[in-house]
Amino acid sequence: MNALEAISIDKRYANHVALHDVNITVPEKSIFGLLGPNGAGKTSLIRIINRITGPDNGEIKFFGDALNPEHVNQIGYLPEERGLYKKMKVGEQALYLAQLKGMSKFDAKVKLNEWFERLEIGDWWNKKVEELSKGMAQKIQFVTTVLHEPRLLILDEPFSGFDPINTAIVRKEILRLRDQGSTIVLSTHNMGSVEEICDSIALINKSRVVLDGSVDEVRRRFNENEFLIRYEGSAVSLANSLWTNFELISNSRDEDEGDNEAIIKLRDERTLNDLLNTLTPNVQILEARPHIASMNDIFIQAVEQSKHTS
Amino acid sequence: MSKVGLIIKREYLSRVRKRAFIFMTILGPLLFAGLVAAAVFAVSVDSVEHKILIVDDQGIITRYDERIGQYLPTCPDCFPERDGYVYRFSDKALSDSTFINSDYTLMATVLEGVYDHKKAELYYKKVPSSSASNVIEGDLESALERAKVSKSNLDFDTYRTLKVNIQLSKYDIEKGEENAEGKAAVGLIFAVITFFFLFLFGAYVMRGVIEEKTNRIVEVIISSVKPFQLMIGKIIGVGLVAITQVLIWVVFSIIIFSIAGLLFENGAFSSAEAMAEIAEQQGGTANLDFESFLAQNKLTKILLDINWLQLLSMFVLYFVGGYILYSSLFAAIGSVVDSDTDSQQLMMPIMLPLFFAYIVAIMSVDNPEGTAAQIFSIVPFTSPTVMMVRISVGNVPIWELLLSVVLLITTCFFMVWLAAKIYRTGILMYGKRPTYRELWKWLFYKT
Repeated sequence: MNALEAISIDKRYANHVALHDVNITVPEKSIFGLLGPNGAGKTSLIRIINRITGPDNGEIKFFGDALNPEHVNQIGYLPEERGLYKKMKVGEQALYLAQLKGMSKFDAKVKLNEWFERLEIGDWWNKKVEELSKGMAQKIQFVTTVLHEPRLLILDEPFSGFDPINTAIVRKEILRLRDQGSTIVLSTHNMGSVEEICDSIALINKSRVVLDGSVDEVRRRFNENEFLIRYEGSAVSLANSLWTNFELISNSRDEDEGDNEAIIKLRDERTLNDLLNTLTPNVQILEARPHIASMNDIFIQAVEQSKHTS
Repeated sequence: MSKVGLIIKREYLSRVRKRAFIFMTILGPLLFAGLVAAAVFAVSVDSVEHKILIVDDQGIITRYDERIGQYLPTCPDCFPERDGYVYRFSDKALSDSTFINSDYTLMATVLEGVYDHKKAELYYKKVPSSSASNVIEGDLESALERAKVSKSNLDFDTYRTLKVNIQLSKYDIEKGEENAEGKAAVGLIFAVITFFFLFLFGAYVMRGVIEEKTNRIVEVIISSVKPFQLMIGKIIGVGLVAITQVLIWVVFSIIIFSIAGLLFENGAFSSAEAMAEIAEQQGGTANLDFESFLAQNKLTKILLDINWLQLLSMFVLYFVGGYILYSSLFAAIGSVVDSDTDSQQLMMPIMLPLFFAYIVAIMSVDNPEGTAAQIFSIVPFTSPTVMMVRISVGNVPIWELLLSVVLLITTCFFMVWLAAKIYRTGILMYGKRPTYRELWKWLFYKT
């Protein structure tokens, strides 16, 4: 079952189009990366899912049902720009936010104590938020977002403001929540964490989805027919041996090992065998494998490409 | 508890628990009482010792006591002992030169036929303060009253129970104008309270909205509740704080003035005079001349003359209505700015009608039945203050009252709707402050 489906969502504001015919599908119990450059429309989509605003056109389905006001209690949202009441005590504030999500005060207290204990922040309960550091406040915000055990969790840049240790803690908690059955929509610019924890992604640029699918599939598909060849020999002779049907994307030399790494794209239904046949007379091949791009490269390339097409 | 209930609770508790609130709530009445006490003290220090000769050649209110060879009042209670006032009595007026050379400061003569023309004369060396002449007037009045009652076959207690009614009609007919002004001044006190709280607590609502917006917590909250729920919860929560403060002040003031009254009764002033001084203080802030009607019994008459049930119930209605009207506008403004300092310019369109309402209320005291008072007591933005003045005077036609209330309630709904439209868009907008044109467009956005 899909936790979330956005079906041809349109949203326009007075001066610009925020979302145009956006379709995304988030499978249940997975981590979904919602990617895109600043101003692409991610926040608009997230706000529509949270029912903060409504779409001009299109429909959101939440576990198969049309999204309705009852569902907000089953969603947890950590906005990118976030804050807490500065003058309020940590515990009181967490209870308040949990109750606004429909939890009883008692349940909220029990769960909060659990979380505070696990994250070892129990002694913060009576501190005012203004006494906390930014990272501490972020931690509290994370807890208040997940406290009501939402079926769908929307985290916008959850790692920003955390040091590496706390980033690791939060990452661990996100994975734990997924394993316990939550579905997580993660919006981030941190492509490393996308590769590590996302199961599938959608890349939005200029109000449109320009790329989507499972992370593995996207990475494979994106650099289809590109192969990484590690070889011994001169880069010049490698380049000379390539015909027009093979395109040398890049070549780099590892001085320590004394070998080269070339990335070569195959055209016109050429196969790896054809490439190897072409190369073997000229260089010594050490390794050949499909080239899988990093999410970082994919992000940059996808955004560049959509710039040209639009 | 419903989500709006939770918001109201948070808004309320986070404010009443603040040290500043507790401080102001306790200290406010104390400061006020202190000011009044200081003023009363100043007056008592400054006041001249009066030795007054009451001349009664008709023997209406005095009798000759043979044992001590002096004239005494037939009703000693009517000339109570007060600091600063010593009464002597005689059947003969002093000649001008004798009076000048005597140690009497004032001489009051009860003229023949006093019950018909209701006049007595007061001679002085130096112009007595109006409070002094009021005291003497009051004392003479009660003595004459007592004498007249004792000649009738009524006993005085019966008369006293009748007195209120008799005097109510008497003052309405004969001194209608003077009393109207006094009553209007009482209404003005309510108008000023209303103005003060609309301004102060409207600004609290606005600051609360700005705080949530600059804190960025607002986005988290409106992912749980509708923006409208957050706005209305804040308005109600802050409103309850206002009501709490008013109630505490009222209770405190009653306690303080009761204590003060007891002290004054044992000391220099009767509690009634203290009351008069209080009224003078309050009037003083509104630049009104209360002197003319401040004698203790006149003030009492004014206070008795007011339809308190109507005034108080209408006060609650207009206070709440005015608060909802203005605070929703304050909330809307808070939502479109990023900081307190940005709000100044946008506040103008609210401050103008609010101050206008205050000024019209003050001017209505002089002419509560005038056209201006009539119109602005019906217009929703000014009615919460102006109508207070008119109601305290009385004589507001029922249709005007109804129209005013219906208009106020309708406008409240409209303003809350309008504010909600601006609010829900404004709280998520950062950076450039929107123009009025853009605000206008926001009203028609689909959510």
